[in-house]
Amino acid sequence: MSVRAPVEDVAMREPVLTIEGLSVVLHRDGHANTVLDNIGFDVAPGEIIAIVGESGSGKSTLGLAVQGLLPREHRPWIRGSIRLDGTEIVGAPAHSLQAARRSLVRAISQDPMGALNPTMTIRNQLRESADNTDDVMFDWLRRTGLADPERIAASFPHRLSGGQRQRVLIAMAMMARPKVLIADEPTTALDASIQAQILALLQDFAREQDTAIVFITHDLGIAAAFADRLIVLHSGRLVEIGATGDVIEKPGHPYTAGLLAARFDLTTDRHRPLPTLPAARRPIGGMSQGCNYASRCPIATEDCKVRVPPLQPQHAHSGAVACFRAAQMPPPDRHLATPWPVRSTIRNDIALQLSQVRKRYPVGPRGLRAARYRDVLTSVDLSVDHGECVALLGESGAGKSTLLRIAAGLLAPDIGAVFRSDNTPQVIFQDAVSSLTPWLTIGEQVGERLRRSDICARQHARRIDETLELVELDAALKNALPAELSVGQCQRAVIARAVAVPPKLLLCDEPISAMDVSLAAAILNLFGRLRRRLDMAMLFVTHEQAAARIVADRIAVLKDGVIVMDNDPDHLIVAVPAPLAAPRQSQAQGGVR
Amino acid sequence: MFKHLAGLVVVVLAMSFFVFCLQSILPADPARAVAGPTAPVATVEAVRERLGLDQPVIVQYGRFLLRLAKGDLGTSFRTRQPVTADIGKHLPATLELMSVAVFLGVVPAVALALLQASFPRPGLARVALIGLGSMPIFLTALLLVYLFWFKLAWLPGSGRLGLTDFSGPTGFNLLDGFLTGRPGVSVDAFAHILLPSIALALPIAVAIGRTMSSALHEVMQQAYIRTARGKGIGEARLVFAHGLRNAATAPLAMVGLQVRLLFGNLLIVERIFGWPGLGNYMVQSLASSDLPAVLGVSMVFGVLYIIVNIAVELCQSLADPRIDL
Repeated sequence: MSVRAPVEDVAMREPVLTIEGLSVVLHRDGHANTVLDNIGFDVAPGEIIAIVGESGSGKSTLGLAVQGLLPREHRPWIRGSIRLDGTEIVGAPAHSLQAARRSLVRAISQDPMGALNPTMTIRNQLRESADNTDDVMFDWLRRTGLADPERIAASFPHRLSGGQRQRVLIAMAMMARPKVLIADEPTTALDASIQAQILALLQDFAREQDTAIVFITHDLGIAAAFADRLIVLHSGRLVEIGATGDVIEKPGHPYTAGLLAARFDLTTDRHRPLPTLPAARRPIGGMSQGCNYASRCPIATEDCKVRVPPLQPQHAHSGAVACFRAAQMPPPDRHLATPWPVRSTIRNDIALQLSQVRKRYPVGPRGLRAARYRDVLTSVDLSVDHGECVALLGESGAGKSTLLRIAAGLLAPDIGAVFRSDNTPQVIFQDAVSSLTPWLTIGEQVGERLRRSDICARQHARRIDETLELVELDAALKNALPAELSVGQCQRAVIARAVAVPPKLLLCDEPISAMDVSLAAAILNLFGRLRRRLDMAMLFVTHEQAAARIVADRIAVLKDGVIVMDNDPDHLIVAVPAPLAAPRQSQAQGGVR
Repeated sequence: MFKHLAGLVVVVLAMSFFVFCLQSILPADPARAVAGPTAPVATVEAVRERLGLDQPVIVQYGRFLLRLAKGDLGTSFRTRQPVTADIGKHLPATLELMSVAVFLGVVPAVALALLQASFPRPGLARVALIGLGSMPIFLTALLLVYLFWFKLAWLPGSGRLGLTDFSGPTGFNLLDGFLTGRPGVSVDAFAHILLPSIALALPIAVAIGRTMSSALHEVMQQAYIRTARGKGIGEARLVFAHGLRNAATAPLAMVGLQVRLLFGNLLIVERIFGWPGLGNYMVQSLASSDLPAVLGVSMVFGVLYIIVNIAVELCQSLADPRIDL
């Protein structure tokens, strides 16, 4: 599955990055949190090493530690050693850290939209990166695939698209010719078609410049297609390391195996719930004295709970695994969940219908002159029946969110008609954490919509408990504030709030796109179960084909302001137009342009 | 920009109408004020007729607008001078005081905020700012007079200049001293302006300092600051080149708001320091129900406010390319 032949004589060459016994403690809300515990590995020049883990595994902190950029406000405490091309980073004075950041290590970040200074031209920001003439700068921009570097350089960031900004950031990092590039989820915020191009670009640079890339991701699939070696982190500990092909083919740690099993793609069986990992428990305070994974592990023994398994070579592959029972790993769990019930009665009554909906926005500078308009939606026809789930698929900027807001009644269409059988449809947004009111407890927020129905206090409390149970949220969290919950728990709370009084129509705007694969699978399962149990109609807006295919009965593709296709998922995914379908496949084949 | 000019017209109309209505409700009688407290009723009535005060309010208002279109604000009942001439006489003093006050308010506040962002030390600066900000302005003004004039006698406690016969080309004594080749005058003017402008500057400094500080604090957490830091840029350059411009919008808006509060404070401070400006003139006009003068000064303040806010929005759009005018 690995695409690149591993860099030759990796073992012979002096590593450019050496991490030994690295532990990091960050203070949040007055609590000391051990974010990384005794991490150690080497990276050779030109090597691509992927660091894989769920959110909260400490992978981003690792990237920041290498740059000497641990957030000051969390009063970091760091022990161990990070040597960058012979320079020790841990405990180094500010000026030598600054010098290291200038010439040895650069980073590109997850969010290209926020990573460029909005009040400074691209040219000035590039010039800060390395002392180059304009021609050299333009050349770097051209090498990242930006056709008109002069225009790009003169622009402010808000005039560029997400893909363009990420290219600018890559040019900015690479023109300094660093020895190590930290790439923290560089493609998560980008469309599928651009993802593959960006990854290919990074691969080219790694090869040409002999730059080692530390690639941080939650997606084992991308890591598998991209990296020479994999490191799997779980709750701040390194649990498995090895050549990409080995780890993917013969995972030695049950966590790696679980992550692999929880992945879903275009070939996953969509007629039954997805396999998931047991939910992560937030470690309270520091590390557990035993294996961190023991509480989630299907093969854990008592021994696992009292001793930390050391990282040691094992028989499955040439890497190393931190598990006492690595040798006793059962063969992959082929036990499948019971299929979803087939919808017995198909009622053809409509829950939501949009006919010839058009919406346009003014563009260009505001002023007294007549504004120019751009059609976001030209003429959209879409209907959702009761009990049906329709996925709305499209790239960013296709008008998906506009359509959803019109369907929800939050926005009026310019022309066209909207019919809803339920005038209070519920909407679930992408960012679960910020859609909860920070100072109200989960119970209060879930119960908010129940207040309108005249039920007594005891019934009210019981309904809240039932709703929390429905979304598989611990009843004890009723009295917790949103800040005490994990992202997954927040999204469950948001869903609970939406279904406390079951709506006839549930509208979801990219509810899983900010989530890890394992968490996304669990939330998709929850949606599948809820809509069948509560008989809700659902409109599920997403840019991910795999998710759309799994969750929906029907997929509508929005492109250039119209629905270009509307069909059964299995038919559609085969027939989806090239720009949507190509990147996923090429990624699976190796992420080459 | 057109929006603002339209705003200007609306402000002038609304303010003048409001003052007219107020005058018709208030028990004070301008005709009696002009004629004098001891004048017989017949004289008062004659004055009333001469000034047009016997007409209905709406007619008076119409006449006022007609005169306004010709640039005539009427004649002050109190000084018997055209209001425009009175304003012309007092405006430079007020503008000078306002400029110095805004400067003394903004510059140290921004400097402190930048210092705080470069070397985060919470606490002291904030406590000092809140302490100063919570004091009412007449108290700070009186304290300054008591301390620096009465007790220490370091600075003059009232007036604009030690000389009486000086007049320069711009009306701004700080400038005119240098322009006319008498730097001593400028120094004297500075000594006079220091106390009143400090009194006016304190609340401005507190407001700007706190907005600037929190805006900078927020900006320095942004992803692009991390990108810049990742390029190996020094902390000082981070704050100045990357932080300052991004944090400018909110403090600039605050300057616009503070100028409005400044008009109110001018009345108090100019009165306490005997500053021969519009604030002082306004207080005296109010006391003698001098309607044309009150209206005229209100107009000037309204126009100034709009001009300042146009300037603020210009600065904001210069600072942030995402803001269109």
